[in-house]
Amino acid sequence: MTKLSNEELKELVRRSYNCRINILKMMRFGEAHIGGAFSSLDIITLLYNKILRHNPKDPKWADRDRFILSAGHKCMALYAVLADQGYFEEEILWTYNTFNTKVPMHPDEKALPGIEFPTGSLGHGLPVGQGMAHIARLDKKDYRVFVMLGDGESAEGSVWEAIMSAAHHKLDNLIVIVDRNGLQVNGKTSEIMNTDPLEEKYKSFGWEVTTINGHNFDEIYDALSLVPFKKGKPSAIIANTIKCKGLPFAEAKFEFHHWHFSEDEIDNAIKNVENCCREELCKIG
Amino acid sequence: MWRTVAERSCVKLADTSNKLENVFDDPRKILANSLLELGNKNENVVYISVDSSLGAAGAPFKKAFPERHFEFGIAEQNAMGEAAGMAISGKVPFIAAYVPFITYRCFEQIRDDVCKTNLNVNIIGNNSGFSVSSLGPTHVVLEEVAVLRSLPNMNIICPADGIEYSQVLELASNIKAPVYIRVSRIKSKRVFKDDHKLVFGKADVVKDGSDVTIIASGTMVSYSLEAAYLLEKNGINAEVISMSTIKPIDKDMILKVASKTGKIVTIEEHSIINGLGAAVAEVIVRNNPVPIKFIGTQDEFAPVGTYEECIDYYGLTAEKIRHQVNNFLKKF
Repeated sequence: MTKLSNEELKELVRRSYNCRINILKMMRFGEAHIGGAFSSLDIITLLYNKILRHNPKDPKWADRDRFILSAGHKCMALYAVLADQGYFEEEILWTYNTFNTKVPMHPDEKALPGIEFPTGSLGHGLPVGQGMAHIARLDKKDYRVFVMLGDGESAEGSVWEAIMSAAHHKLDNLIVIVDRNGLQVNGKTSEIMNTDPLEEKYKSFGWEVTTINGHNFDEIYDALSLVPFKKGKPSAIIANTIKCKGLPFAEAKFEFHHWHFSEDEIDNAIKNVENCCREELCKIG
Repeated sequence: MWRTVAERSCVKLADTSNKLENVFDDPRKILANSLLELGNKNENVVYISVDSSLGAAGAPFKKAFPERHFEFGIAEQNAMGEAAGMAISGKVPFIAAYVPFITYRCFEQIRDDVCKTNLNVNIIGNNSGFSVSSLGPTHVVLEEVAVLRSLPNMNIICPADGIEYSQVLELASNIKAPVYIRVSRIKSKRVFKDDHKLVFGKADVVKDGSDVTIIASGTMVSYSLEAAYLLEKNGINAEVISMSTIKPIDKDMILKVASKTGKIVTIEEHSIINGLGAAVAEVIVRNNPVPIKFIGTQDEFAPVGTYEECIDYYGLTAEKIRHQVNNFLKKF
């Protein structure tokens, strides 16, 4: 297993929790899809810090790996990580929910460096990512395409069209990460439209699959370092996550998919997140 | 068995037949050849099939450039998203299928992935209008221009004849934005001379006239021309305009003819709701309101029949166009 050093782990924890705090600060300007942003944040943090070949100073570098956040409503996680990586000034985050902002509730590729493709309507990211993966192969480039989906999003028919097509075309430069937090707008994914068992479904469609804890940096790093899991097959990483991870009073509650809050609740939430960060760092030792 | 006619009929133009050549072109054959030529010219051109290569002019391209031909099966949502992913990666995708499947089934992908991003994805809507009229309303779509016209960044081209079909793919490939190309299966009667150049956003005068202006697109240009020659027998000198680019519409031409003849008739093998006629009317009412008559299909699902039966039902034959234009002019 590919292991991270304690210093690397601490750095990732500090960065991911700093991003969580920045997301809460953005929310002073308006409500947000905090649940999915926090559940996906550790994976996105690790991707940009350890896995993706990218250059924040040259966002359109032709040979970069592509990351598409298909579940676009989780974009506050992406904004916070891109700012942390230096794609743009942090001040842009504080324009959230203002007129003509570069950081709207769903990402806009024309507004912000680092956004590969605009998403928002669910089920669009994987087909688009596959188009990119086909062109990488056609142009004999070795960049990879990472697409993050939600487990609720996985009810979309277009997702399964794309899963079928990727295996048919043996796209081993395509990696799906499912942020399986188990909750969607109206409740549990298992009760609204059960998309599980995702592992069995991906396998039967011809993918190589692994399941990880999406908040364990070692597991995330290990899985993402090993892609493609098998030559000639697309890779799927099913990441078990906790909706609103890092904000204890909101964790695993579907009501926090999209949070309506008061100003003092934000201050309290920031303190909660800071405490969580300290605890995580203590665990590492 | 299909009852679709392979060739459209044409009126006998006894004393005027020299004005309109009786040459018919098969749009699919022309497109197949020009796609192959374009593939040779531009290595970024890729073709996406949704089980449609054979029927939609992609077969010769597939044979010549197998690595640039992508088969995505009967799954249009995925295919349109893939087209967007390829376009943003620097390619010039063409994607073709029957109109309903390549427009409606993947409409949100067209809107969000292609139009919002303003990518040069070239969508070929095959078998448009009444091309496959015997297949019924699931396949006969008479409203897609209306729907697509309302999308920001979308451009719409509807070639009038074989000369224009031979140029439309290269033209579309050079437009750095989404393009919808409306293609008929019916053999098209030649309207233009060999040296005609299809220009994006520009209409063409195919017959001069001073009493009324007929503005038509696609298949209806040749019918309108035949009607105009029939109208000469009634002493009516009709001008005929071919509006091959429906979006962006040629405002200058519309305003010019509005000032010149002061009476406009629009004709399209499409619903009169939000199609060519509506696009013309939008220009007219804002700038120079003159009387306008809309000829096209109505707000209903069309009956099943042969091509000829269907266009006759909606008054789109040369003789019926003549009759309607004649009646329109009696009002003034």
